[in-house]
Amino acid sequence: MEQLIEELKKEIIEVLNLEGMTPADIDENAPLFGEGLGLDSIDALELIVLMEKNYGIKLQNANEGKEIFKSVRVMAEYINAHRTK
Amino acid sequence: MGADETYACLLAGRSGIGKMKYLKSKHTDLPVGEVPFSDEELRENLFIKEDASITRTSLLGACALREALVSASLFPRDKSWKMALVSGTTVGGMEKSELFYYDFLHTREKDEYIALHDCGACTDMIGQANPYGFEMMTTISTACSSAANAIILGANMLKLNRTDIVVVGGTECLSKFHLDGFNSLMILDHEPCRPFDKNRNGLNLGEGAAYLVMEREETACQRGISPLCKLSGYGNRCDAFHQTASSPDGEGAYLSMMDALAMAGLQPSDIDYINAHGTGTPNNDESEGHAMMRVFGDAVPPVSSTKSYTGHTTSASGGVEAAISILALIRGFIPANLNFSEKIDSLDFTPVTEVKQGVELHHVLTNSFGFGGNDSSCIFSKIS
Amino acid sequence: MSIYIQSASHISIQKPLSEAWMELPIVPDSAFMKSEEPDYKPFISPMEARRMGTLVKRALATSLDTLRKGGCEMPDAIISGTGLGCVEHTEKFLNAVIDNDEECLPPTSFMQSTHNTISSQIALRLKCHGYNSTYSHRGTSFDSALFDAFMQLSLGKIGTALVGAHDEMTPDYFLMLSKLDYWKMDFCHLGQLRKGEGRGSISGSCSLSMLLSSQKQENALCELKDVELIYRPGILQSRHAINEVLLRNNLSLKDIDAVVMGLSGDCDNDDVYHELKHHIFQNVPTLWYKQMFGEGFSSSSFGVYVGAVCLRVGRIPQHLFYFPEEAAMFQKEPRNILVYNHFQDRDHSIILLTK
Repeated sequence: MEQLIEELKKEIIEVLNLEGMTPADIDENAPLFGEGLGLDSIDALELIVLMEKNYGIKLQNANEGKEIFKSVRVMAEYINAHRTK
Repeated sequence: MGADETYACLLAGRSGIGKMKYLKSKHTDLPVGEVPFSDEELRENLFIKEDASITRTSLLGACALREALVSASLFPRDKSWKMALVSGTTVGGMEKSELFYYDFLHTREKDEYIALHDCGACTDMIGQANPYGFEMMTTISTACSSAANAIILGANMLKLNRTDIVVVGGTECLSKFHLDGFNSLMILDHEPCRPFDKNRNGLNLGEGAAYLVMEREETACQRGISPLCKLSGYGNRCDAFHQTASSPDGEGAYLSMMDALAMAGLQPSDIDYINAHGTGTPNNDESEGHAMMRVFGDAVPPVSSTKSYTGHTTSASGGVEAAISILALIRGFIPANLNFSEKIDSLDFTPVTEVKQGVELHHVLTNSFGFGGNDSSCIFSKIS
Repeated sequence: MSIYIQSASHISIQKPLSEAWMELPIVPDSAFMKSEEPDYKPFISPMEARRMGTLVKRALATSLDTLRKGGCEMPDAIISGTGLGCVEHTEKFLNAVIDNDEECLPPTSFMQSTHNTISSQIALRLKCHGYNSTYSHRGTSFDSALFDAFMQLSLGKIGTALVGAHDEMTPDYFLMLSKLDYWKMDFCHLGQLRKGEGRGSISGSCSLSMLLSSQKQENALCELKDVELIYRPGILQSRHAINEVLLRNNLSLKDIDAVVMGLSGDCDNDDVYHELKHHIFQNVPTLWYKQMFGEGFSSSSFGVYVGAVCLRVGRIPQHLFYFPEEAAMFQKEPRNILVYNHFQDRDHSIILLTK
């Protein structure tokens, strides 16, 4: 799990182009949206693409992301439970 | 195709949204509003040779342009008047570029389409496809409000006597690029779109083209033409909220409607029908609805989104919906908003669900909103 | 109603956000010239910048710089011209559509690919709810934007307008256009452009922003007297249109101190200008600017920019003269400059600038 969290942080930084950030700067328990990292709806769409591309998880509705992207840890748990690759 | 057929479909509640036939996308489960003619058929219609390179956006535009010119008694051309063409498009020649992109970079097979890729090239081709000479032309690209902004530029040109007659509108064909783009934003409904419905789940992408011929009253008089209606007001404002999302209170939409009303010298209560932007996405319809409630209070006039018939024709939509608004005005009817069943919780009004015939309309407002918060509104009024 | 060009700012193959090109122009040495990028940090925060392509960053930097110089916090309108829009993101999305077979596509690239991203990102940054539009009409995209702004200022609908021209040239697009003879692939010295032999010019990415205002301020560059667009005119109609512009402004051809033309080194392109020179501008000194800023869908904006800066400074540097003999004879302080551009002899633009 901890390894997946590290991996995810790296992927998030890359796909969202969070220039100048390192995995250590992201608190895996902090919210990704709003406060916390301050991401928005387009970032959510990018994360949905990330999950499909890297872990074979396909969401049908952007709203489903709301629960999954609460924090990096929640996201990692969801991926662990549903990944197909 | 054409004003009469459009009118017949609107009266009969017959939507053009369905399965894709000519667009070669793998996402065949997505309904689209495709123009039911192949490129070859469109070419034949325009007497364009089989081997001439032309994009579908231009073909659609050229067909619509010709109909507009014929109906304004400008076909063949009368050289005594200065004429301009202002056309809106966004993806331009992309539908060919996405097919030939490998060739563009690696072979010499499709070089002629490289020059047809950009927006301006589409307008140029539309002008050329009609045996016609314009004294001036330009292209507007403000995404889904492109054609509405063409109307606005054209009107300003007429006011300053920069042209005698101006043809304004927009054109856009379906492309994988566009369909996949909207799909990547997860705002395409897998069912026929449901504008202003509580359970709406996105838009259906459409294609099309529409042009209006505009001139000053005295020019029409000198030409012996009786105009269909008057463009009495318009507004263009920016929501300045988000690149793709509309603000919750619809600030840009509110301001553009208010500007149009002020320019027309009308009260909100003078508006008899609103042809809404109404894409069917959760975000647009709620935001637009709030903006309408801010403008019209608890007396929102009859509203419908005709995107439930055409799909979202993006850059053309401002032209297509202006044409429908004018049809409604001169033929005295209000088109229905298809697929509506339940009111949006936060809105106080519901759209018109049954076509209303034999109604006297004086002023019709039409909204066109684009990505990036490019919001425009136009008011068409009956000539008394 | 008088309309002024209050300030202007550019990013191009010359020194960015600077008028250093007046004295020390950078001389291009290849057909594919890269733009000199300024430091974007003063204009854009990293969090803002993360989704932006190069073109939007350039547009924001030139816009904010020109607003600052012009002493304007909030323009009444934002109008941009871009022939190709945000090519970088368009290519990224298009390649993904093809390579990934329409699956797992990057939404950010699509969202940033539309032409109106530029004007709307500027509006978003300024929180500007005013008029907002984008023209994409090949080589006269900027001229169309200027035309729109000019008309609205004339009608009194707006008091200020931020007008821009923004185009980028990516390596892939450069390659595609090279197949249409857009570039002199063997380019190595300026003499090749002045001779105007054979097809092609040199490419330059151009971003230019200018602030127009109906209120004159101390440091304004010049007055924008007129903007006219004509389509496939032929020499007679060109002459007619030029005369109309002059007549509207109570001027005659002999009042024009210099004409700025889009001479680029491409024989087909330059022939049109030579014909104009021969039939209309025989006694008007010819200036050019594409030897310095390159050819591109937004380059016509630099014709206006160059003319405007010369009017403010009250001097035309030698290197702007197309004919060396005209440079030697020219001694006065310019008052009226006409800018004439065309794109493939289809869309022509005539812009009149006055001190």
